[in-house]
Amino acid sequence: MTAIIVGGLLQGSVFAIVALGFALVFRVTGVINLSQGAFCVVGALSMYTLQQTLGWPAALAALGAVVGTTLFGAALGTATFVPALARLPHSSMLMLTAGLLTLIEGLVLVVWGSDPYDLPSFSGEAPVDILGVRVATQGLWIAGTAAIVIIALWYLLARTMMGRQLRACAENPLAARLMGIDVPRMTLLSFAMAAMIGAIGGIVVAPITSLQFDSGQFFTIFGFIAVAIGGMGSFIGAVVGGLVLGVGEQLAAGYVSSLFSNGLAVILLLVTLLFRPSGLFTTVARRQDVRDEQRVHLPILRFSGRDGLAYGAVAVALLLALPWLVPESSGLLGSLVITGILFIGVLGLDVLMGYAGQVSLGQAGFMAVGGYTAAILAVTYGWPPLLGTFAGIVLSLLCALVLSLATMRLRGVYLALATLAFGLLIDSLAVGMMDTTGGPSGLVGIPSFSIGPWSFASPTSMYYLVLALIIALVLLLLGGLRSGFGRALKAIRTDQTAAVALGIKVPRYKVAAFAISAALASLSGSLFAFHFHFLSPEMVSTSRSFEMITMLVIGGEGTLVGSLIGVALLTLLPEIFQPFALYKRLAEGALLVIAFQYLPAGIYGSLAGWLSRLSLGRRAPPSLVLSKDQTG
Amino acid sequence: MSAAALNVVNVTKRFGGLAAIADVTLEVPDGSLTALIGPNGAGKTTLFNLITNLFPPTAGDIYFYGTPLNRLSPGHIAALGLIRTFQTARVFPGMTVLENVLVGAHRHTRRHTVEQMLWLASARGEEKKLTAKADAFLDMTGLSRFRDDAATDLPMGAQKLLEVARALMARPRLLLLDEPAAGLNDSETGELASLLRAVRTSGVTVMVVEHNMSLVMGVADQVTVLDAGYLVASGSPQEIRRNARVIEAYVGPEAAV
Repeated sequence: MTAIIVGGLLQGSVFAIVALGFALVFRVTGVINLSQGAFCVVGALSMYTLQQTLGWPAALAALGAVVGTTLFGAALGTATFVPALARLPHSSMLMLTAGLLTLIEGLVLVVWGSDPYDLPSFSGEAPVDILGVRVATQGLWIAGTAAIVIIALWYLLARTMMGRQLRACAENPLAARLMGIDVPRMTLLSFAMAAMIGAIGGIVVAPITSLQFDSGQFFTIFGFIAVAIGGMGSFIGAVVGGLVLGVGEQLAAGYVSSLFSNGLAVILLLVTLLFRPSGLFTTVARRQDVRDEQRVHLPILRFSGRDGLAYGAVAVALLLALPWLVPESSGLLGSLVITGILFIGVLGLDVLMGYAGQVSLGQAGFMAVGGYTAAILAVTYGWPPLLGTFAGIVLSLLCALVLSLATMRLRGVYLALATLAFGLLIDSLAVGMMDTTGGPSGLVGIPSFSIGPWSFASPTSMYYLVLALIIALVLLLLGGLRSGFGRALKAIRTDQTAAVALGIKVPRYKVAAFAISAALASLSGSLFAFHFHFLSPEMVSTSRSFEMITMLVIGGEGTLVGSLIGVALLTLLPEIFQPFALYKRLAEGALLVIAFQYLPAGIYGSLAGWLSRLSLGRRAPPSLVLSKDQTG
Repeated sequence: MSAAALNVVNVTKRFGGLAAIADVTLEVPDGSLTALIGPNGAGKTTLFNLITNLFPPTAGDIYFYGTPLNRLSPGHIAALGLIRTFQTARVFPGMTVLENVLVGAHRHTRRHTVEQMLWLASARGEEKKLTAKADAFLDMTGLSRFRDDAATDLPMGAQKLLEVARALMARPRLLLLDEPAAGLNDSETGELASLLRAVRTSGVTVMVVEHNMSLVMGVADQVTVLDAGYLVASGSPQEIRRNARVIEAYVGPEAAV
């Protein structure tokens, strides 16, 4: 028992260090920086290279790694985070940092490969005896480092001029700027310092946990759960949250099963969000209103009815002909099917994010619910796939309803967090319920999709099934969204108060959008399982949720069909150019970050803008008519 | 309750120790055009926010055609037919001018979304009718030429008019307009005056917060004056013009002598 608690406190110290990085950036910018955990990995792996490959002494290598990671963070912040903060609303910033996380992971994958790395202990492997518990000396390094980081950070913020300036930015960026504080510089400073803190955390933990390119997610998620429990932006809260989480996790691992330990962390997060959304230690509420004046605002894209019909017909004809155009042997048709299946899930995400403006980081969680429900019913109970798919949708709708009712009070970033927690919870259930789901190695022997006597075993038949579904779904959604329903969602997205003043019942529409997105994700997950004949937690994990957001944003939010471009790009490119596979994650992250900054309406938006200008050129341009009117 | 459109009864609102609205009682008769005037900081917008329950009053009651509003949410109040505009125009970005007006139709759209999803003729028909009505309101407010432009591209004055058109599209029983003339030039203000008269003639009760005295005196049946949270006077434009306390509130105590 004591051993577990000591172990938990040490583990918690790591979470606390990462959480401090979160708290710092949140305090200064109001943004939850999901890329935080990635700096741990960069720091640790840099140290590995310096120490193990180049043979530097440990202390020098550690210093070099911390300095290097901080500079890397500063460069990345200058190029992306700081300029974006001035332009993007907070919900987009959250996703931008998810993109940064993916980008850094991709970079690490390219530089260091996918192998796990270990650092040697700082002071030998022999454990010491504390209170009758044998503790690895590295544990003391971790706890000591956490204490030093906490004290240094407190001193900096509370006792120095720079600290006061940082806090002023947190309180009211506009007023801070008017007082002559260089807000972008302070933003960058906080971002780079958070990178530094991350690197320190990564370096001290690397001797006891092996790290690989995607371990950053783990640190991000746990560090972030720690701050959410402790209270956003509270430094004491970050530390306490980290320790509570560490102890809780070790207790769960010790008494239940290590497979469920992640689940416990997520449940802690959900409970905190539901009962104390602002966390255990609430600091003075940040004045979100000051910056939220910049509203989410997409350019207007509209084809005339005739043009839209023509383009649509061409697109459908092309999609119908596609199976004849790709070589049978290439396996490309299978990738096209996957593209279509993922697009169904992204379509749902578009209704929720692109139209209603709600951020979901847990779309793959609903894919998992749909996929596992249908697959388990088919494999274990012999249900027909169609029935299992419906069961999955019903269960997903139920989850969506519970989740949205529970999070009704939460807004903006907290809702995004609740969906993230949901995705993680489903993930840990899929991993933990070995007997039902097959655990981490996945569920095998899933049959092909079939409707009555018709089986969709061949890629071609599956392709046409998915295409038919997509056409039907796009038509349904298009009909709904071009009427009062779509207008209400868009109104809610851009100005909730004004929407309410016109009698729009905001909660009802948010729940409806959430339900649509959950149902489509569920459908997509079921088809996914039937297509692969296999389903593992990894296929529908949080990485997948992030990937779907990337697909949506680079394709074009709020355009329904635009995201198909994003899905196709990210699914087909690695398939066509195999060497690209190594760079896939890097490219995904980079594309997301770039799309947020330079393509507000995605690739589709740019394309459609160009097409509609083309067709306007043929007729009398309305802008000309307008100017005549004004002179007359 | 009488047939008054709006009754504000002994309403007080404190922010901390400061009373933004102090024991205000007023009545907006059905079918009237009532103006609410007062210097900056008098509490006019606060009163609107209390009526639409964006925040609750500290004390007092508000009735809309006899229905108490205190416990109703802003959305519910709007659904009853009490529609407001905002001091700074709040048009929906990312939507065209026409779409903005159509959002106003939300309250009385009957066809279900499922019918729209299935592209049923009845649903498309309703959409056509609503569009025709929206076009009529755009005509009435002189915004037709901007119909398919992005709402946020409009000049500020036009955005305020767009808000009025959107509110009218909601078929209000009582329309609360918060400084609709702000940002309008003289000729536009003239058009606004005739628009307000036309709205009242069509049977909609209007309550308007306004700084522009000539506009108020030209169109209002009844004027209520607030100063520092207190109701100082209420009456016809002619009575208000002669009221010493109003002159004091506007011009200052010395000049009132």
